[in-house]
Amino acid sequence: MKQILLITDGCSNVGLSPIVAAAHAKAEGIAVNVVGVLDHGDAGESGSMEIEEIARAGGGISRMVHTRQLAQTVQMMTRKTVVQTIQLAVQKELKHVLGSGAIEDLPPETRSEVVRVMDELGESSSLQVALLIDASASMKPKLIAVEEAIRDLMLSLQARQGKSEIAVFHFPGGRHGEECKMDLGWTDNLTGAQSIFPKLQMSGTTPTGPALMQVIDFYRQGDYGRRSREETDGMMSDYVV
Amino acid sequence: MTTSFRISLRRGTVVTGKWKRRKYRVERLLGEGANGKVYLVHSDQGWVALKVGADAVDLQSEINVLQTLAKQGRRQAPAFLYDVDDLQGSDGRDYPFYIMKYVRGVNLSAYLLQNGKEWFPLVSLNLLNKLAELHSKGWVFCDLKMENVMVADYGHVELVDYGGVTAVGKSIRQFTEIYDRGYWNAGSRAADLKYDLFSFAVLCIQMHDPKRLHQLTLTLLPQNRSTEDLEQLIATNASLKPIAGWLADALAGRFADAAEGAEAWRMLMHRTNRKQAAPTPFWLKGLVAGSAIMLAVSVYWLLRMGM
Repeated sequence: MKQILLITDGCSNVGLSPIVAAAHAKAEGIAVNVVGVLDHGDAGESGSMEIEEIARAGGGISRMVHTRQLAQTVQMMTRKTVVQTIQLAVQKELKHVLGSGAIEDLPPETRSEVVRVMDELGESSSLQVALLIDASASMKPKLIAVEEAIRDLMLSLQARQGKSEIAVFHFPGGRHGEECKMDLGWTDNLTGAQSIFPKLQMSGTTPTGPALMQVIDFYRQGDYGRRSREETDGMMSDYVV
Repeated sequence: MTTSFRISLRRGTVVTGKWKRRKYRVERLLGEGANGKVYLVHSDQGWVALKVGADAVDLQSEINVLQTLAKQGRRQAPAFLYDVDDLQGSDGRDYPFYIMKYVRGVNLSAYLLQNGKEWFPLVSLNLLNKLAELHSKGWVFCDLKMENVMVADYGHVELVDYGGVTAVGKSIRQFTEIYDRGYWNAGSRAADLKYDLFSFAVLCIQMHDPKRLHQLTLTLLPQNRSTEDLEQLIATNASLKPIAGWLADALAGRFADAAEGAEAWRMLMHRTNRKQAAPTPFWLKGLVAGSAIMLAVSVYWLLRMGM
């Protein structure tokens, strides 16, 4: 199962629409979840509309939260999306067998059996979550909470019986005009005290759409076999949306 | 973590199950868990509790746990599950529900407030025994907190909201941050029997020193949170200090399960009870010393008179 979790606090303002990008992700079998972090209501009307629409296009869920609730929200959304992904797959199968896809339409006894299998799958299937962090200037004071949420998510994922990995990206990428930069390649372990975002240069632009496209491409490359971090970085900077 | 949830049942509404056609008359809302709302309802068997969920899958996995528990329990376990069905909400959608025993009582913090802290040792022991029952069947309660512990007359304890109950070895699906071992950087978020004992220890702190516990969550940086902070709090609280050793063992995962924890708790209660009786009052010591002096004086006097 593949997920992208976008953490942002406002509107994109450069490049491809993030809603189009999220639809691309969905087509690739990647669910897109979005967390809007708003401490002083700074996302605004259009910001929260965009957040909701990205998630809808990406087949995921969206939440608006205060920084303090970030860790718990991220963990809950990831779990919820795992359940949803399995539910979609199971519903497809059910449609073949029973003609009706909805779990709700099953009589209680059958439903009990189906959900038992779904729970088992949710626990044991492998899961990859790529976190995409908005590092535009207004997000700076929230990055400590973001890092805490990432560590907390890793802790929850480590408890699963299936293989679970995360990768971390931030956008905009920095000096070289990259849309986004990888901070951490696929890993199942975040031990050690070093920071995930050592020295971020905050910048004004918010290229959410192009950054999403790069993460989708990162997933695609992963499917052809894992490359070393340097190689992957090199390939990504060549990528033109 | 509560799911956004629109359904609400009004008093007097009669709910009819879609599959089995049993009827329930709604009395009032009892509470709200992560997976749904719990109502007190009247059926032909008397008062029972109805839990209605927004999500069929979430509620069903909770029901599955209760069904397995009901099968495992021979005679001791209460009948958890009376009926499982769907009801039609006022919006025309179907919502899954199940019927369980109605647990009378108030939640833990309300009970101690009404009846006094002197009930704390006994109620806690009863709670540990409840957890031990679950543990003996290979289940971890996981979301242990004030709201999920109901206490009835004479300290009788029942656990409510089985939505978080997880088989040993699986990942924990429902928890509350301050009671969570992972939140305090003290271990994994995989369900094991020691997890409940950690939460129980935090629950004890929450009962006696909620203000300072809350303060810790505000001031400590996430990466610096540790059980040492909790232990410091315990050491400086008069009510918690006598059980500091037990709490340290629970926080460090030194009890294998709740049964072992309960045994140690029982021993501790006896010891503290004896200790309270043991110290001789100051006036009694004075009296003994006084009468000894009197005796010496009178013996001396008698001897002198006799000589």
